[in-house]
Amino acid sequence: MKALRSAIAYGWHQLVSRRIYRVLMTVPLITLFVFYNLMEAGLPLRVPSAVVDLDHSTLSRRVTRNLGAGEYNKIVALPESYHDAMDLLRKGEIMAFFVIPRDFEHDALSARPTSITYYSNMAFFVPGTMAYKGFKSTAISTVGGLSVATLTAVGLPESTIGEMINPVNINLNCPGNPWLNYNYYLTNSFIPAVLALLVSLVTAYTLLVEIKHGTSRRWLEASGNSMIVAVLGKLIPQFALWSVVGNAMLAGLYGFCHFPMNCPVWHMILAMELLIIASQWFAVAMSCAIPNLRLSTSFCSLTGILAFSIAAFSFPVQQMYGSIGIFSYILPIRYYFLIYIDQALNGIALYYSRWYFIALLVFPLVGLLGLNRLYKRCVNPVYVP
Amino acid sequence: MNNSSYSGRPGWWGSLCRVFRREFGFVFHDVGVMLFFFALPLFYPIVYTLIYNPETVKEQRIAVVDESRTADSRTLTRMVDATEAIDVYAQCNTLDEARRLQNNHEVYAILHIPADYAKKIGRGEQANVTYYSDMSLLLRLRTAYSALVDVQLALGADIRAASMKELASVSDLVPIPQVSQEAIMLGDPTQGFASFIIPGIVILILQQSMLLGVTMLAAGSSERRRRNGYFDPLAVSAPPSASVIGKALCYTLLYLPCVLYVTHLVPMMFSLPHVGVVWEYLVYLTPMLLSTAFLGIALSVFVTERESSMLVIVFSSVIFLFISGLTWPVYAMNSFWQLIGACVPARWGIDGFLRMNSNGASIFEQTHSFLMMWILVAVYFVLAYVVTHYRDRGRRLVPDTAAA
Repeated sequence: MKALRSAIAYGWHQLVSRRIYRVLMTVPLITLFVFYNLMEAGLPLRVPSAVVDLDHSTLSRRVTRNLGAGEYNKIVALPESYHDAMDLLRKGEIMAFFVIPRDFEHDALSARPTSITYYSNMAFFVPGTMAYKGFKSTAISTVGGLSVATLTAVGLPESTIGEMINPVNINLNCPGNPWLNYNYYLTNSFIPAVLALLVSLVTAYTLLVEIKHGTSRRWLEASGNSMIVAVLGKLIPQFALWSVVGNAMLAGLYGFCHFPMNCPVWHMILAMELLIIASQWFAVAMSCAIPNLRLSTSFCSLTGILAFSIAAFSFPVQQMYGSIGIFSYILPIRYYFLIYIDQALNGIALYYSRWYFIALLVFPLVGLLGLNRLYKRCVNPVYVP
Repeated sequence: MNNSSYSGRPGWWGSLCRVFRREFGFVFHDVGVMLFFFALPLFYPIVYTLIYNPETVKEQRIAVVDESRTADSRTLTRMVDATEAIDVYAQCNTLDEARRLQNNHEVYAILHIPADYAKKIGRGEQANVTYYSDMSLLLRLRTAYSALVDVQLALGADIRAASMKELASVSDLVPIPQVSQEAIMLGDPTQGFASFIIPGIVILILQQSMLLGVTMLAAGSSERRRRNGYFDPLAVSAPPSASVIGKALCYTLLYLPCVLYVTHLVPMMFSLPHVGVVWEYLVYLTPMLLSTAFLGIALSVFVTERESSMLVIVFSSVIFLFISGLTWPVYAMNSFWQLIGACVPARWGIDGFLRMNSNGASIFEQTHSFLMMWILVAVYFVLAYVVTHYRDRGRRLVPDTAAA
């Protein structure tokens, strides 16, 4: 017990002696502000778009007005031809354009085949999708409106026509996120992932910097020559600080930014504490496997950065190649994200998320297995740059 | 004092060349820096593309609750199952049963067909069907939604054709409009995830790996200075401007093969969108590399130990990814973030490169981005100069023995 107290004092002293640790502790909160402020709108609506109107009729002007009045598109240019529109798109002034062909009104009203074409630049995925949505719904309602007008003109009742135009309607019901807010996924996954990345980086750094500076024997002496006490001496004070940061983050996300919180708040607090512990021990395991400061921190950076992709915050694991997707299950943040979806977003019973909590508890056990190897390196510290 | 220490030594151009040469030596004798400069741009694009290479979401599992149990409802189920996006994994009797499957993560959504589905179609009324998504990922919903809209349109056309037959007398008289519509996806015709994200990511990888390497080199020098009483025995004594430019030129030159690799070979290997001209990429990205090199030299004031370069640089990748406009478009940012984004070289690099690589634009259509990158070169050169100048001011650039 005395050894643990002196190890904690040692770890605490190291933590407060350098400015970089204090600065890094604030990074998750700064990132939260960046994300929240940057994506406050939730969806990037009003995509800069253009309409190529080759018809110049009452109908085509009405379509143009409808497009501009919708929430998805903002008509910023009316180029004269397809080529002019393509030039604007290549210069980056517009993301999408809508082409109304020559004699459109005339052909449509006299039942001659005619065609509306719309182009979206999917090289910029999110705005491209938004523009496509706006164009598609305007095109459908234009065609529908024309049919309604013609059929009403011959005396069919309006109710019958409506059902004829769309006999089956598939409603979308999105209980957790009816606004389809993209930010709910990005902020709630990326900010904890930044935290997990920094926790593991700082853990690996503070453990192995002792070997670099040749102070690892003094560190062991301060911990009663026990590796586990020495490691705990570093992890406990760091955990206390990260836990404050993590909970401040949760308060920011759910209290201040009002992201959905459909479960008792302690579910997410528990998940956050376990994420921090799991990330710490993930880094301990890494430091034991590769007891070299540069390689170990490189590896933590590598996994931490790849986690943003492999942990499947946007592209599902089930779709990845099996040999790649399997790596998502060695990352603590993956389980935290799954808990977030189940608990905070969908608010289902805790029972269904039980395995994710247990998985987070496995990480410390893995870390414990390698401590002996780290001990040997700490007794004979050799710095390899 | 400083001037005298340069006397008898090569002039400005001479010291520039010596810095340039010495920096090459540093890079190739440092495994850590080589890892950042070469291994990272070599392997990261491959790893990223392998992650996203399946491109689209296919056959996501759903449960169907068919309360209608008619030929019509079975047709709907079959049509949904036949789409590429959706796989009907289970048929449930009640919504509760389906919800249990959803909570157990066996299915991602539930399609509920109400009891009056076929009756309404028969009566010529509008039939409503509900799709409950579990909202675990937006991409799943997006793919499912567009598949369902297609099913809805196809089914609607079938039913309409049948009812039009009954109205044959009317449809002969009335000119029913025949307007077709076509959506064309530019830049990423398959709407795949890899095709959209990889061309942007590789540019960000270039910037971030260079920043990591440059700050690690600078930190190595600062460690040597600390050990030797503020004198770096391996450094070339040169005026700050020559030293800064010499280093930046060295890094830029080393990165040109990497640019060729990530902008030309990576899209070719994985058949990603790639319709631009190679030499235009090289010319276009050169100012980005130069400004990144200067930025790295300027940032090295924050990095005093080789390994802490990772602590300082790595997390910034996430922020840069977002303010570069790749995932969140620039037009939707407020002016504050547009300004911050404008200071990141990769923001302009990604912007122009995507248009050249995916949309087939030429470098002459990217003058704004190109000019902005050259402005960043100037700004970060000044910053790097000031940082180097103040670090060296009043400190010995050569040891006393050498001066004597």
